[in-house]
Amino acid sequence: MQRKESVRLLLPDDVGLECLRKDWVCEIHRQKSGTLTFWDTYEWGLWFGGCALYSYGEVYHLCAREEGWLGGVLCEEKAGGRRRFWKDFETEPMRSRLEGMLGLRGLAPVVGGAFRLSHGDLRNKMGKIVCRLDWTSVSTGKREEEELLQSCLVMPLLGYEAEASHVVDKLIECGAKTPGDDPLVVLLQHANLEPQEYTLRPAFGLKTETSAREAVGCIVRTILEIAFRNVPGILNDIDTEFLHDYRICLRKIRSVLSLVKDVFPAEGTRLMRKALGDLARQTNRLRELDVYLLARDEYLGLLPPAFHPALDVMFKDFSAEREMEVQHVISKMRAASFQRLLGEIGEYFSADTRHEPSSAAALPVDQLIFSRIYKSYRKICRLAAGIGAETPDEVLHQVRVACKKLRYLMEFFSELIPGEEASEMQKVLRRLQGRLGEFNDSSVQQKSLLNYWEQKRSGSEVAPGLGGLVSILYHRQQQTREQIVQALEMFCGGSTAATFKRVFKQPAHVPVRQPRG
Amino acid sequence: MKVISSYSIKGGVGKTSLAVNLAFALCEAGQRTLLLDLDPQGAAAFYFRVGNAEKFRMRDAHSIADGLYRNIRESDFPGLDIIPSNIGFRHFDIVLDGMAKRRKQLRMILEELKSDYDVVLLDCPPNITLLSENIFKASDAILVPVIPTVLSRRTLEQLTGFFREEDLPCEILRPFFSMVQKRSKMHREIMAELPALQPGFLKTVIPFSAEVEKMGLRRMPLLAYSHTCEAALAYRALCDEILSQLGWGTMKHTASVGMTRSPAASTAATATAAPSTSAPARTSPAIAAPAGVTAIP
Repeated sequence: MQRKESVRLLLPDDVGLECLRKDWVCEIHRQKSGTLTFWDTYEWGLWFGGCALYSYGEVYHLCAREEGWLGGVLCEEKAGGRRRFWKDFETEPMRSRLEGMLGLRGLAPVVGGAFRLSHGDLRNKMGKIVCRLDWTSVSTGKREEEELLQSCLVMPLLGYEAEASHVVDKLIECGAKTPGDDPLVVLLQHANLEPQEYTLRPAFGLKTETSAREAVGCIVRTILEIAFRNVPGILNDIDTEFLHDYRICLRKIRSVLSLVKDVFPAEGTRLMRKALGDLARQTNRLRELDVYLLARDEYLGLLPPAFHPALDVMFKDFSAEREMEVQHVISKMRAASFQRLLGEIGEYFSADTRHEPSSAAALPVDQLIFSRIYKSYRKICRLAAGIGAETPDEVLHQVRVACKKLRYLMEFFSELIPGEEASEMQKVLRRLQGRLGEFNDSSVQQKSLLNYWEQKRSGSEVAPGLGGLVSILYHRQQQTREQIVQALEMFCGGSTAATFKRVFKQPAHVPVRQPRG
Repeated sequence: MKVISSYSIKGGVGKTSLAVNLAFALCEAGQRTLLLDLDPQGAAAFYFRVGNAEKFRMRDAHSIADGLYRNIRESDFPGLDIIPSNIGFRHFDIVLDGMAKRRKQLRMILEELKSDYDVVLLDCPPNITLLSENIFKASDAILVPVIPTVLSRRTLEQLTGFFREEDLPCEILRPFFSMVQKRSKMHREIMAELPALQPGFLKTVIPFSAEVEKMGLRRMPLLAYSHTCEAALAYRALCDEILSQLGWGTMKHTASVGMTRSPAASTAATATAAPSTSAPARTSPAIAAPAGVTAIP
């Protein structure tokens, strides 16, 4: 048995139920109004996940965004207080739906809207309801601001579909239209907000003939802008990803300045790298604490429940320290010196700033980069040659750093590398980096945990839990070492080596192209 | 899906009142309900303000099913649909007589609706014909209103006799006392005597009530406008007893189908009460409504 679908129409401001009263007896019930607050993350995870989350009163509602209107509520949860992360929600449907869309991101209010709803019934001459209506108007809720949207949902009743069609026709006669933008879109537009995909790997628009200085300048400016955009999120401590991304951006800029040498004047480059390093260092401890606290569940999962209370003590310490550290970072970032430094960095790399000539500034970027990438690759292969079970951790650390530099180079200049080969090479590199990252994390965490134990909780009840954790991390590190050896073999030989050589090795006889102009 | 019939050979015993109020109470208890008005008088549909069905003609005989499905009407109470009657329904007997499996036609027709409804309630005409035999074959329970009078008692005995003769399952017959006047000595005596003689008697007793008579004026089920009067309470109790007897357990009445208000004001409330997504009548308004709308309490 097929029931006819409801029809939603957008109505002009001046159209009301009056236009239907000639043909039906109109009854209005349940007039309600309320202000809804819409939530999303900095990355618009919900928006791009096709959903909208709003709170009304103490209840959060997650609904699908369908064409033209907000869809039905997928799940809802009553919350005593504010919910920021998916883990803060208590009901399983909400948690599981949000986890994928939010990740580590925190929710923040995006926009609010006042919704007024009237539910209406249209009766025929017998007094029988033949059509139902939901009449909704949306405004910002601020006084003296006009309605942004007025909509009517015409809901047919089984057996009375013709009446509903008649209602739709009547409303269209009065100027109603099928809906375009849903209320969230309208509210966002009114607030001058436009959801945009967020990425730490933006396109730079580089071409082979672009000069090195122009290319590097463009990369720096683009990444610097991403870094700046993350600052408010750090100041409001919305989630840990703001700081994480901010630090990555600073690191990437420093890397590109050191990897592509002699593009800007040496002294200026040195000063900028130092300034960026200083900025990153201000946040080192906070990031460390974030990493520990994010790994809390993982750590607890590694140990038997009997050890959990001991670790809880440690995490409480970390949490308390984080509270202080975040204030410390915020005060630094709010300081005039910080703002001044950001301004100076921005100005130095501005497209309008004129710098002294430098040896590589005018070279076509592809020549410079391809040989640099190949050199980086060869360096990794040299370092990898002797790695085995007994190799000191420091050597693996050097490999990790070399891989990171290579990854950045390939990422920054990926537009210049043939598409399929670039992605294949990066895939193998990412796999290797993943193993190296795990190895390094295990190593650093062991040291930090032991350091914590010595400094703060020596001889305390934390010791057994901490000891257990360090042992597990050590074991994990050794296992990872074996995986790294395998991954390095794959990366430094076979088809990967051949591809690197083919794509990046500059033929010795090819003369270096002359600088433009 | 269960099929429940409101049936008696005798007229004027409260069959339609039972069908209308029980349909409402079942819907209120979260059951997706279809009320099929098989009585050509069409009173059940009248109480729901639903117009007559399209006229049933002899030429429609090849597809009674299509004729019925085409006439399904959504009532003012989400979750409760009605197939109204028509004077042409009087031809059913002739049509059925010419068909193969002529006693099982109704059962086969209703079978098609099992994904759409939890309960189909049949309001039956007061006679015993081939259509009645179809009703007996199709029903999981036949509720027989019995006014505690000699004639009513006699027709009940005729019905049970017919069931025995035709080897029909007597256990589906569930008589109950209807339109009872406590002050009547005869009523009291018959009520004391008959249940012991007639197995399957339901415990709930529907009292005679002027409020029930007003259904015709208001054109809605008693339960929709009066839910505290004795008869309304009795219909609800009967609904619970039937649900329990049919193995569905006693359902909590949500009082949200429109009991406390006009029948029109119930869309979202009912959707909340019965959130089964396979119940289009109840869920369609809620699903279709904008999120901001359904959520605003």
